[in-house]
Amino acid sequence: MSLKKIGAIARKEYYHLIRDFRSLYLAFFIPLLLILLFGYALSLDVDRIPTAVVDHSKTPESRDFIERLNASLYFDVVAYPVSTEKMTRLIDGNRVVVGIVIPPDWTARLKAEKDAPLQVIIDGSDPNYAGNTRAYLMAVVGERNQNRLLTFLNRRGREPIAVPVEARIRVWFNEALESKNFIVPGIIAIIIMIVGALLTSLVIAREYENGTMETIRSLPVRASEFFFGKALCYWFITLVDVLVAVLMGQVLFGVVMKSNFWLMILASMIYISVALSLGLLISVKTRSQLMANQMAILLTYLPSLLLSDFVFPQQNMPAVLKAVTFAVPATYYIDILNGLYLRHLDFFQMWENFAVLAVMAGILFFLNIRALKKAGL
Amino acid sequence: MHSEAVTVTDLVKRFGDFTAVDHVTFTVRAGEIFGFLGPNGAGKSTTIRMLCGIITPTSGSGHVAGFDLFRQPERIKESIGYMSQKFSLYPDLTPMENIRFYLGIYAVPPSSWKARTEWVIRATRLESVRHRLTRDLPPGWRQRLALGCALLHRPRLLFLDEPTSGVDPITRRHFWEFIRQLTEEGVTVFVTTHYMDEARHCDRIVMIDAGKIAAIGKPSEIIQKTLPDRPGADLQEAFVALMRGRP
Repeated sequence: MSLKKIGAIARKEYYHLIRDFRSLYLAFFIPLLLILLFGYALSLDVDRIPTAVVDHSKTPESRDFIERLNASLYFDVVAYPVSTEKMTRLIDGNRVVVGIVIPPDWTARLKAEKDAPLQVIIDGSDPNYAGNTRAYLMAVVGERNQNRLLTFLNRRGREPIAVPVEARIRVWFNEALESKNFIVPGIIAIIIMIVGALLTSLVIAREYENGTMETIRSLPVRASEFFFGKALCYWFITLVDVLVAVLMGQVLFGVVMKSNFWLMILASMIYISVALSLGLLISVKTRSQLMANQMAILLTYLPSLLLSDFVFPQQNMPAVLKAVTFAVPATYYIDILNGLYLRHLDFFQMWENFAVLAVMAGILFFLNIRALKKAGL
Repeated sequence: MHSEAVTVTDLVKRFGDFTAVDHVTFTVRAGEIFGFLGPNGAGKSTTIRMLCGIITPTSGSGHVAGFDLFRQPERIKESIGYMSQKFSLYPDLTPMENIRFYLGIYAVPPSSWKARTEWVIRATRLESVRHRLTRDLPPGWRQRLALGCALLHRPRLLFLDEPTSGVDPITRRHFWEFIRQLTEEGVTVFVTTHYMDEARHCDRIVMIDAGKIAAIGKPSEIIQKTLPDRPGADLQEAFVALMRGRP
């Protein structure tokens, strides 16, 4: 293997890249767009739930209840319809997700120490969102009941008593339960797949389409030299994209890595190698840019997004799908990044993930060389 | 140095049921222009691609530039120059960048890069367009650049596959003058063409049809042997006569 030949191919690839608007756009614009999109727009947090309240009671108590609701981060009372029908229309029109009806006799019943039901309607179209909404509302109501109960008991002249069972919850790793802390590592994995695999899936196919593959075959170039020459440029670009993503995560979203930065770079380097090898393998197998592009989306981007534990938790997947996730490289990389970003783990707590990625890179390299030799190199 | 630049014996290439090259045997002597003539689909390109180490023959044996066709295709690729009508240079690179790529791939020592580049640019008359994109050059110019790139590592043996097809007559004449010049410097040239009139530029030729050799020798000898009673006949007529004579 000659470094000079690898250099010559890498140099040529560099010229292709800087003269191809589409590739440049894919390499630099898409990652930025993704970070902004996922970071700002696609929050998985459920908060500021748009709420409508029909207050038939119109008493200080009912207004206090609404104010408390509004004061919490979770609810945003955006409408005060005068009737249940008007509220229904707001829910139908997707303007609010929760509708609360306070009956006219609500305060009276409370004062009479009778049960005082509230009517709550939740839009269940998005079950995850609806479930969270219900839990928040139960908590608000529960707290109110607890307070009432305590003041009631204390008023009866008993000694001040405490709540009998109280769960003292401490959240580890992502204390504020903010999804951005979890999303940033996921985005980095997705970006590597998009830039690494999608971009490289075009590069050998392009040689076939331009007829230059025949040129390459006539030249004294070994399969390994061709492979490394092709990958080199994209390897560095993808690494730069990772650094940009890390920096943006820190500056824009305040997501700071807790563990070793260099460990993250090492993991990224291995994962980038996996992504590039996948892209190149698709490219040499399909020999057409269009086909390669679609294959790359299907085989690299979508599994990384859907099966990697990033968007959908792997715990909830059926056994068959769970088995598939073991073959998705992003699973291991995201695991490492979560370990580094959130859990403050060191290399020895995660070495299996590194090892699996390294083995994947090795196997893919071997498959690439075999495919290139078959293609006449 | 071998006095034979190319020797092949009973070379066969099959693609599935189709036999593209059928037991071909010939030698190319060092320093000559060797023409490989035949109609389209006769097996010219398949033969030249086997000789250049791009595809492996099905059976037979052969040496090119002293290296074995089956065992040393990489060594063959390093020591020959190959230019084909079918393949192209990188259209989004300038001539200078294309040249730079070839210099690296042919492992030319960097100390002689500058001299080689200047020589090739001058010999192929590309001084005025060296920094333009190759895709913007006229086809004839691109062809000259391709030829120049194939010569960057100073090969002693040059393979040209249909180098003049689709090229205007003046460029063709220039091209053959340049080839003649190369052979005066001791380069052996193996060239395929389907233009019968180009055979007059060749020292010796092989006429191939349907994968089999129909005739081999000096053009004048072939004409004489095939049409002994017609002294004024040309190669085209000889070839037609040869084809008619086949069962």
